[in-house]
Amino acid sequence: PSQIALKSGASVTQTSLAHTSCPAFHSLAIIIAKTSLSSPPWPEVKLPDPIEEAKYHAEVVQKVNEMIATGQYGRLFAVVHFASKQWKVTSEDLILMENKLPAECGDRIRLEKVLMVGADDFTLIGRPLLGKDLVRVEATVIEKTESWPKINMKFWKRHNYQKKKIIVQPQTVLRINTIEIVPCLS
Amino acid sequence: MVLLSLPCWLRSRLTDRFWRVQAVLKHARHFRGRKNRCFKLAIRSVQRAFVKTTKARRKKKSFMRELWITRIEAASLEHGLKYPAFIGNLLKCQVDLNRKMLADLAIYEPKTFKSLAALAQRRRQEGFLAALGDGKEPEGIFSRTVHHY
Repeated sequence: PSQIALKSGASVTQTSLAHTSCPAFHSLAIIIAKTSLSSPPWPEVKLPDPIEEAKYHAEVVQKVNEMIATGQYGRLFAVVHFASKQWKVTSEDLILMENKLPAECGDRIRLEKVLMVGADDFTLIGRPLLGKDLVRVEATVIEKTESWPKINMKFWKRHNYQKKKIIVQPQTVLRINTIEIVPCLS
Repeated sequence: MVLLSLPCWLRSRLTDRFWRVQAVLKHARHFRGRKNRCFKLAIRSVQRAFVKTTKARRKKKSFMRELWITRIEAASLEHGLKYPAFIGNLLKCQVDLNRKMLADLAIYEPKTFKSLAALAQRRRQEGFLAALGDGKEPEGIFSRTVHHY
């Protein structure tokens, strides 16, 4: 009987809260018994205090700025969008793309669409891109060749139908020279 | 000789049959069995091989995408998020990394991937509060979109 009373009591308070939603009820701090229907089935989510969070964010940004200014990072990696593909790039590495660039061999190129830059201790994530005054990725065109001859063939058996085509794609090889970041975060 | 019958004696004969056959057999040299030596067997295998490479080139793209998705799913589950939640919330935060990049980051930059997972989780919670709270709670900080004009 005691259990039934608690259950009914719980339901009564719940319905009253739902209908009236009077501030007086909230200040009284009614203890609702924990049943299967007393709280929603999803876990309750509480976000941290916005003012404190803003302070924390400003601190983090300032620390990262300091680290960049003093140069306390090792090797930087960058995620660059180039030739309609995304590349994860570090300094001194080679990139092969299946297209022609209007630049000549030996030209220095700046890759502008940088999505993300990171080091061991920090990463800068762009939404979606990072500013051009923040990152600078430089590359040199090393080689402009053609790919190996790829064979495209269609064949239907018993229908005397076959077509053979040899496809040769132009390729460009870039060497990423440097990735530089400037401490101008805000 | 009678000069009128000379053109009748000149018949065209195939002289480079050897090289034509070798051009097919060179693509079959790494096959197993008699089809790497005998032309009649080799030409069938070589044709099938060429057709298979053309079809596989198209399927490779979807296969690689599936592989990346599996890897991202595994990595996000390590951080307590499911794949649809992770990807959806990253897109809502205007982070445009594609699946290839996310898979590479999950393998080679685990700390960065952890921070991306935390970002997605936070955006998810803000989304829940925005849906449940009827606009009385303050707007989430990570839900603010960046406007490029």
